[in-house]
Amino acid sequence: MTFLTRRRLAGSAVAAATVLAGCAKDAPQDTFKPKGSNARTIDDLQRPLFYVAGAVGLIVFAAIGYSILRYKDRGQDMPKQTHGKTWLEVLLTVIPALILVGVGIPTVAAVFELADQKSECVVNVTGQQWWWEYDYSGTCGGVEITEPIVTSGELVIPTNTSVLLRITSRDVIHSYWIPALNGKRDAVPGRLQTLRLEADEPGIYVGQCTEFCGLSHARMRQAAVALNPADFQAWVDNQLEAYADNAPEADTLAAKGESTFIASCSRCHQVNELVKKDGTPVLAEPDLWVVSGAAPNLTNLMTRTAIGGWTFDLLTEDCREQLWNASPEEFGSLYLQGVWMNTDADADKPVCFDEATLRDWLRDAPAMKPNYSDPAKLDSTGGRTRGMPNLHLNETQIDELIAYLLERK
Amino acid sequence: MFTTGSKMFVGATVLSVVAAIVFAAATGGAVGLMSTVGLVTAAVIFTFLAGINLFTRDGNTPSMEQGIEHTAAAAQPPVGRSMWPLIAALGVGGLAVGAVSKPVVFKVSLFVLFAAIVEWMVQSWSERASADIRYNANLRNRMLNGIEFPILGTIGAGGVIYAFSRVMLAANPDAGRWIFIFIGAAIIAGAFLFASGRVSSKRTVAGVCAISAVVLLGVGVASALQGQRTVHPHPTVDDASQKALCLEGGEEEVDERASQDVSLKSNVVANIYLREGGELVAVINGYPDEAHEITVPRNAHIGVIFHNDSDEPERLTGRFGSFPDKPEAVSCTTAVHPGKSAYLGFQIPKTNLASSTPLEFIVPGLDGASIPIVVP
Ligand code: HEC
Ligand SMILES: [Cu+2]
Repeated sequence: MTFLTRRRLAGSAVAAATVLAGCAKDAPQDTFKPKGSNARTIDDLQRPLFYVAGAVGLIVFAAIGYSILRYKDRGQDMPKQTHGKTWLEVLLTVIPALILVGVGIPTVAAVFELADQKSECVVNVTGQQWWWEYDYSGTCGGVEITEPIVTSGELVIPTNTSVLLRITSRDVIHSYWIPALNGKRDAVPGRLQTLRLEADEPGIYVGQCTEFCGLSHARMRQAAVALNPADFQAWVDNQLEAYADNAPEADTLAAKGESTFIASCSRCHQVNELVKKDGTPVLAEPDLWVVSGAAPNLTNLMTRTAIGGWTFDLLTEDCREQLWNASPEEFGSLYLQGVWMNTDADADKPVCFDEATLRDWLRDAPAMKPNYSDPAKLDSTGGRTRGMPNLHLNETQIDELIAYLLERK
Repeated sequence: MFTTGSKMFVGATVLSVVAAIVFAAATGGAVGLMSTVGLVTAAVIFTFLAGINLFTRDGNTPSMEQGIEHTAAAAQPPVGRSMWPLIAALGVGGLAVGAVSKPVVFKVSLFVLFAAIVEWMVQSWSERASADIRYNANLRNRMLNGIEFPILGTIGAGGVIYAFSRVMLAANPDAGRWIFIFIGAAIIAGAFLFASGRVSSKRTVAGVCAISAVVLLGVGVASALQGQRTVHPHPTVDDASQKALCLEGGEEEVDERASQDVSLKSNVVANIYLREGGELVAVINGYPDEAHEITVPRNAHIGVIFHNDSDEPERLTGRFGSFPDKPEAVSCTTAVHPGKSAYLGFQIPKTNLASSTPLEFIVPGLDGASIPIVVP
């Protein structure tokens, strides 16, 4: 094989790989597949633009290719040199100017449309290294939220409702992005920026922090889960359920878990309405232990499908596939069952629960998600960690905690 | 075997390799790692340069020729004198002075010394590159202009900016405005004359620029010596009296410029209005209706803007909770004139459930004007 043919071969291989990379099938973060009105506004703008730019690109490359082949040096005479051709120059200035004006008008219109803040639901979204927190209050799509709801990782919203996110950060700059529902918005400490999401159909729409934010940036993911209004109401009701209704029964493993939780976890993690033996409330103080001053609220941990910056599944792989591929009609009821999907009423453990993952997390979270929590390196932060430290629990304690956390549903 | 030019690079290679080894062995931790990586990088670069020099034999000397070591350009003695040794010596002197006086002198001297050594080395190398002096000078320029021009340009621009900033800081604000307008107009006029071809002599332009630079530097130095004009800071409430003032109210410290604090206006959680009737309402970013309660995330820096629509100067006070072992956190805007507004930023570390006092916004002295704050 000569050098030239080899080079051509390599060239076409690279080109083919680049083109084929655009054809990924299982690509939930595809910006060309809008699933809501805001994303559609963007898509309606970018698609025609993409075609125009593509056509211009093709013409330019074709012209270059033609010139290269047609006029390559075959030893012919130097052609006559000319300079300046007014009509051509005017034409080549006017055409792009017209294209740019044509592109500019709808772009500016779309920018203003997307910046509008009218909404039927407002959620505070707070980023920190390396997970997102959501808090809800007021009314959301007509559903009254009587007490603030605080969750993490997974944003639950009603379908066909304009939801306004008020995005900020507790430490460094992050960026919130659910490609199927809208563009990105930076989460900047000290500033509060808004972003509207609206989903047409129930389903799960995934995203990813898109501003490099340190060590575990790659494990700072998020999802928006859209539920139809009735299911959303059910979700809210469940979130607001009194702790007493889910409190562990005396002398069970879960009851031991509650004490272990109070002893080892509640200094960082809030479980709403949890009380000590003497009846005083257990209030988390993550501001004393974590650099960002926050740790996920675990009141309804088991209503989420993933933890740790929405990176590690609480659902087993099969169940996750089932949920993700569910039709819009059945999605809501499956989602509300969470890890209890496919489980008989009298079974003592949910079949869809990926217990190993949660066990690993409790055994040694930094091993799963690097986070500077090594005690030897905490001088600069006054002993506070940037994530969940390794708490050196033994397997019995982990058993108890799992039993307890399974009831946080 | 080593050509003249490559000797320097070979030497530098050896030096950086040795330095890398010594550093790696002696210094641990992130600093050690970074420095070692840096030194190894330097070694690689020097090896590369030495290789190129060796390969080209400092030019085009045919290596097989008899007696070339005496006749080759590289073997010729240097031409002319160099000012670089002098500058290097100045640098060394500066180092000594800097060591006992100001660190900045030391740093500048270090830079001068380094620059002088580099210039000196390259110059003496280039002077032996061939017998052709013009060619040698060209060679030197090719080697160094790429570094010299950006650095000199930066220093020049920095000098202009620094001098100009001194002038603007010394001049009073009104004069400053006119100075800006005049200089801007002069630059545009000059540029116009130049562009229209009315002034075409490069020497005239260069002369005007040089004179302006000298004048600017002179005035800059004079202004720097004269010092900055007194800048009147915004009136603020000092810590000791702050809490009492925030809670009891009063018109002291009215902030004449409160409404000019615009930087964060578009990024607040709520606009809080004091209505004429003494009612306090919040228009929360995103909610269609007026609200009488605000929910904010805990431990995040949050801002609100207070608009005073009443007829008296008033301030907005935030009571941000009393958490165990700490006095109540209170903070307020300065009193705001009717029709004006002011920004108030805050951060609440814990849930409001943990506070023994209520979390709320109030207008001191006005009963019933209050907006509770919820921190989940
Ligand atoms: C020093 C504070 C701290 C302590 C103590 C702590 N955690 Fe965490 N935990 C965190 C932080 C911070 C995160 C978020 C980490 C991330 O996603 O990067 C977290 C995440 C979690 C999550 C995932 C939640 C989600 O929605 O992503 C679970 C579950 C969890 N912790 C359980 C526990 C349990 C059980 C204990 C007690 C054994 C405990 N934690 C003790 C700080 C702490
Ligand atoms: Cu991030």
